[in-house]
Amino acid sequence: MRIFRMTLCIAMAMLLAVGCKKETDTPATPAGTGAAATPKIGGELKILVWSEYIPNSVIEGFEKESGVKVRKKEYGSNEEMLNLLKGESYDIVQPSEYAIEYMIAKDMLQPIDPAKIPLMSNVLPNFLSMSFDPGNKYSVPYMAGTVGIIYNSEKIKEPITGFKDVFQAKYKGRLIVLNDSRELVSWALSTLGKDMNDTTPANLAAVKPLLEAWIPLVAFFDSDSPKDKLLAGDADIGIVWGGEGALILAEEGEAEGKWKWTLPSEGAHLFIDSFAVPKASKNAAAAHAFINYILRPEVNVKIHDDFPYLNPNGEGRKLLTPEQIGNVASFPPDDALKAMKVFRNIPDEQTAAMEELISEIKK
Amino acid sequence: MTPIAGTKPESKGPRRRATRAAWLLLTPLLVWLLLFVVIPSVALAFYSVATYAGLGEVTWTPSFEAYQKAWDSVPRVALWRSVYLALGTTVLCVIIGYPVAYFIGRAPERWRNLMLMLVMIPFWTSFIIRIYAWIIILRNEGLLNGMLQSMNLISDPLSLFPSQTAVFIGMVYSFLPFMILPIYGSVEKLDNALIEAAFDLGAGPVRAFQRIIVPLTQPGIVAGILLVFIPAVGTYAVSDVLSGRRVELIGNLIETQFRGKGGNWPYGAAMGISLLVMFVIAFWLSSIFAKSQQEQ
Repeated sequence: MRIFRMTLCIAMAMLLAVGCKKETDTPATPAGTGAAATPKIGGELKILVWSEYIPNSVIEGFEKESGVKVRKKEYGSNEEMLNLLKGESYDIVQPSEYAIEYMIAKDMLQPIDPAKIPLMSNVLPNFLSMSFDPGNKYSVPYMAGTVGIIYNSEKIKEPITGFKDVFQAKYKGRLIVLNDSRELVSWALSTLGKDMNDTTPANLAAVKPLLEAWIPLVAFFDSDSPKDKLLAGDADIGIVWGGEGALILAEEGEAEGKWKWTLPSEGAHLFIDSFAVPKASKNAAAAHAFINYILRPEVNVKIHDDFPYLNPNGEGRKLLTPEQIGNVASFPPDDALKAMKVFRNIPDEQTAAMEELISEIKK
Repeated sequence: MTPIAGTKPESKGPRRRATRAAWLLLTPLLVWLLLFVVIPSVALAFYSVATYAGLGEVTWTPSFEAYQKAWDSVPRVALWRSVYLALGTTVLCVIIGYPVAYFIGRAPERWRNLMLMLVMIPFWTSFIIRIYAWIIILRNEGLLNGMLQSMNLISDPLSLFPSQTAVFIGMVYSFLPFMILPIYGSVEKLDNALIEAAFDLGAGPVRAFQRIIVPLTQPGIVAGILLVFIPAVGTYAVSDVLSGRRVELIGNLIETQFRGKGGNWPYGAAMGISLLVMFVIAFWLSSIFAKSQQEQ
C-alpha cells in the first residue's frame, strides 16, 4: 500500500515537471538523396528563427536537396534571440529591423555575399535598402507585414477606423492586443500625432494618460496567436499582426463580411523580418544556400500559404491565388504602404522606460 | 535497505558511518541536485549581481541594480498577488481536500485504491492541456455559462475568462491532489481506538475532531500545505493561460525576463533569488516554530 502511494506521488511529481512549456529543438530528418538544384554542401546548419514562422516542410525540402542537416531553435522576441546567441553559435538568425540595426552596430553580423544569393533579385525594391540596413549588406528580407485592426462586425456594429474607436469603454473585456510594449507605445504616440520612434521621456509622459485609459479595457495581451481567441469568440476586436488577420479573413471567408480588417487611421508601421548571418557562424556557405533557397518562388509560396504576411518576394507573389493577393490584411494598399515607417533602434534607457511604463500601468 | 535507512532515529548509540555502497546509492540524487539545483542557483546568483546593458546584453560589472528593480513596485505587487493567490489556494485546498482525503482514508480497504486512482486520473493528461480545458469551461460561450443560462439562473454570461478568478480556479484545481494525498496518508494511519476512546470519555464529534483527529493528521496537513503553497507562489503557467496576460504573477514576471520581451536576465535572476531567500527564511522560521511546539 505504501509503495503504491509512493509510486503515485513520484508519478505526479514527474507529470508536473513535464507540464512545463515545450522546448522547440526540432531534430532534423536524415538528409535524403533527391536530385540537387543546390550543390551538395553537407554539414550542419543551425538556425535561430521566430516561432511559427517557417514551415517544417520548407526546412525538410532544403535538407533533402542540399544534404545539410538543419537544426532549428525558435524564439519569441528579439531580446531572447540575442540572449541565445551569447550561449551558442548559430548560422542564421532572423532579427527584426531594430535588432538588425543593433547587431550591425555591435559588429555581430557578417556581410552577406551577394554572389551566393542570386535570387535576391526576387525581392521587390520597396523592401530593400531600408533605413536599418542601407544597401542590404547584412540582411535579406524574409517576410514583412504590418499591424492592423480586425473586428467581428456581427458583434461590433459601429465601424472602426482607428485606435480611438477600438479603445472605448463599451468594448471593455472584448479586446485583444499584441503583448508588446513598443507596439502599445507606438499606437499611443500615433494617436497623439507624434512620431512613433520618438520615445523620449517627454513623449512617454505624454502618452501615459492615454495608455492608462486603454490598458484596463484589454482582455488579452497576446502576440503569439491572437487569432484563436478571436475565432473562438473570446474577443471581438483585435489589434494584431497582418498575417494573423489574413488567416482569419481566409478562414471565415472575407466575402461573408463577418470579419473586417482596417489599418488604423492614426498610422501603421511596417515591420520586416530578415535573415542575417552571425559573425560566429561555422557554416556560412550553407547559410547562404538556405537563404537563397527560401527566396525561390515555389518555396516562398509554401511559406505564404502558412504565414500570409506582406510577401516581399515579387516572383513568389505571381504564383499566389487571386484570393491570397486580394487579402487586405496581407497586402495593404500601395499608398498606405508608402506612408508606413519602421521601428528604429532606440536607446536602451528608452526601451527600459517603455517596458517600465507598461508594466507599471498593467500592475 | 542501506545502512543509513537502517539506522533507527530513536537509537541513541553512535551513528554508523555511511558505507561506500550507501554513497553509491545516493550518487544519482547528489548528481541530480548538483546539476539541476546547485549549479543553476549559483548561476542565478551570479546573474543577479551582474548589470543589464540593454537588448538582452549583460555585463559582468557587479551591482545591485537588479535587486533594486526586483524590489520595486511592479514585482512587489506581482509578488503579493502571487502570495495572496497561493494562500487562498492553500486554504481552499485544505477545505476541499481534507473531507475528501478523510473519506478515502476511512473507506473500506478495497475502495481506497479505486478512489485514489480517481484522484490521479487527471494526471494522465498533460497539465497544460488541462488548464486549457478550463478555458472551454469558463469562457463567455463556455460550458459553465451555457449551463447557468439554460437553467435561467443568469441572463448575461459571467465574464470569468480571462480573469484573476479564472487563475484562482485553475490553481485550486491543479494543486488539490497535492493536498489530498498527504492528508490521506495521515488519515489512513489514524487509530480508530483513539477516536472511540474520545467518544467514550464524553467528547462530541466536534471535540473529537478538534482534539484527536486534527492533531493526529497534522503531519499530513503540514505536508499538504507545503506541497501546495510553495509551488503555488511560483506558478506561472496557470496565469499565463487563464489571465490573458493581464494578471501578472511573480512567476510570469520572471519568465518574461528570460524568455519573453523583457530580456533582462539580471532582473529576472534577482527576482528568483529574492523568492528563494524568502522561502528559505519562511522554512527556517516554520521549523523553529515546529520545534518549539514539540518542546511544549
